[in-house]
Amino acid sequence: MFNQGLSLDQAPPINIPFRFFLSAPFFGVLMSFVFFFVPFNELSNQYSHFAIGLIHLFTLGILSMIIFGAMQQMMPVLAGAVIKKPKLFANIVHSSLVLGTLFLSFSFILGIKFLLHLAVLFLSIAFLTFFILSIKLLFNVKYLTSTVKAMRLFSIAGIITLCFGLYLAISHINLNFDENYYIFVFLHILFASFGFALLIIMGVSFQVIPMFYVALDFPKFIQNKTPLILFILLFISAVFFYFDINFLILKLAFVVLMISFSFYGLKSLNNRRRPVFDATLWYWKLSLSSLIIAMIIWLFDFFESSYILAIVFAFGFLYSLLQGMVYKIIPFLSWFHLSSKGYFKLPTIREFIDEKYIKIHFFIHFISIIFFVLSYFQNSFIYVAAVLFLASNILFFINCLNAIIKYTAIAKTNPMDLSAFK
Amino acid sequence: MDTISSFLTSDHRACDVEFANLENAVASQDWEESQKQLEKFSTDLTHHFAMEETVMFPTFEEVTGMTQGPTMIMRMEHSQMRNILEDLKADIEKKDKNHFFGVSESLMMLMQQHNMKEEQMLYAMADMHLGSLVSKVIEDMKAI
Repeated sequence: MFNQGLSLDQAPPINIPFRFFLSAPFFGVLMSFVFFFVPFNELSNQYSHFAIGLIHLFTLGILSMIIFGAMQQMMPVLAGAVIKKPKLFANIVHSSLVLGTLFLSFSFILGIKFLLHLAVLFLSIAFLTFFILSIKLLFNVKYLTSTVKAMRLFSIAGIITLCFGLYLAISHINLNFDENYYIFVFLHILFASFGFALLIIMGVSFQVIPMFYVALDFPKFIQNKTPLILFILLFISAVFFYFDINFLILKLAFVVLMISFSFYGLKSLNNRRRPVFDATLWYWKLSLSSLIIAMIIWLFDFFESSYILAIVFAFGFLYSLLQGMVYKIIPFLSWFHLSSKGYFKLPTIREFIDEKYIKIHFFIHFISIIFFVLSYFQNSFIYVAAVLFLASNILFFINCLNAIIKYTAIAKTNPMDLSAFK
Repeated sequence: MDTISSFLTSDHRACDVEFANLENAVASQDWEESQKQLEKFSTDLTHHFAMEETVMFPTFEEVTGMTQGPTMIMRMEHSQMRNILEDLKADIEKKDKNHFFGVSESLMMLMQQHNMKEEQMLYAMADMHLGSLVSKVIEDMKAI
């Protein structure tokens, strides 16, 4: 297994992670249309059908899409866990995730119930294929690191999130909302946010922040204990909710964990040894700062609706981090694959995506978040936010595509031919 | 007691510090200092490769019988990194700060993912398989 994990031949073909990464902004574009055309009071009510559709365009179309793409690349490198038929696996997961996301979101947005049946089918295929294989591979890894442990917990949390989601979808199909419906809604959100999303982000951050930025390691306690404590807290939450016990003390525990993680992440980035400016640092810092703000908003329930919390958590924390990661991964993979194939002279990693456009993208992304937040107080700002979000996603797509075009142009040439990148 | 993992991991960290010193010198455009830091970093990095390629890897290959496995791939990546050192040297000679940082980022990423694979898998395997030979291997590496 180790032997396979280290070989580039055993890593998935480069077009696999690229396909997943390029699909994400497409769902961002769809979201911007929903923001633009659906009345704000519907969007800001988390139980409205529009909001459910919108949230899943993000959580499935963007969050899961990028995480699944990155995991297929990271499992061999970080864990020595090799997917034997990577193309088949990627084809099944990608196509069923795309279709399932579209069916689920638009069954709610357009009110077409039939689509929900298809969504259940396709999302079950995507998630079960992905998680069953991940669990099988990750639980066979011999040399355990904090990242592998977090990946294992993430996979289990992912399966549980899916089960809650399926229960909810079936409730909607049968129009049968029993007394447990809201408990399952809450647990679905909790496992998706703190289990599925945060566990993998934590696990990867422990490796990636020191690696990409030559920065300090996270303290051992944070690396080794936080994911497990978080995972256990999720199950205790389920018990609390089932027996209707006051959640405040657990909420506080979640908040302390998340703020500790963000604090050490920011500390590590601020004390990095590399002097070079790197625009992706902005994404990481915005992301971790947003997580702190989101946790404070959640703890004190500052706002009547959870709209602002959702915006800060989803776009401020999650999407910023995902974009920053993709901007690091695509140029590195392009360079690494070409370099390993023996190309004599290559563009540097920084030349695959022009940093100027990454900065412009960051600026538009940041301003869009500000306008989304302002929309809560002045609803008409949602139009500005939606247009900015549209522009941000288009630019994200173009930036990634440019790097891939450069890679493809060079990969088509003879390794000794220098003309392709002049 | 030292393990192969702790000994070589701390050497990785030392190389990281040298690498950061080199980038700092280039960032301040002190080209004479950059030249010195590059020499220091190159010496330390190639010394690390030599410890692995002449002592640890052959012992690992002999004990496990794996000659076409992880050590072969690690050697290939060492060779990739040696080539990049030449590019860095050329950029310092040309005083081309921008290109230097593009190349240094490539080296940094390659180095870090390489270290990660060694630290998380190869060294752990070496400690496990080499058993009583571990202290001798470390002594021999120190002697280089």
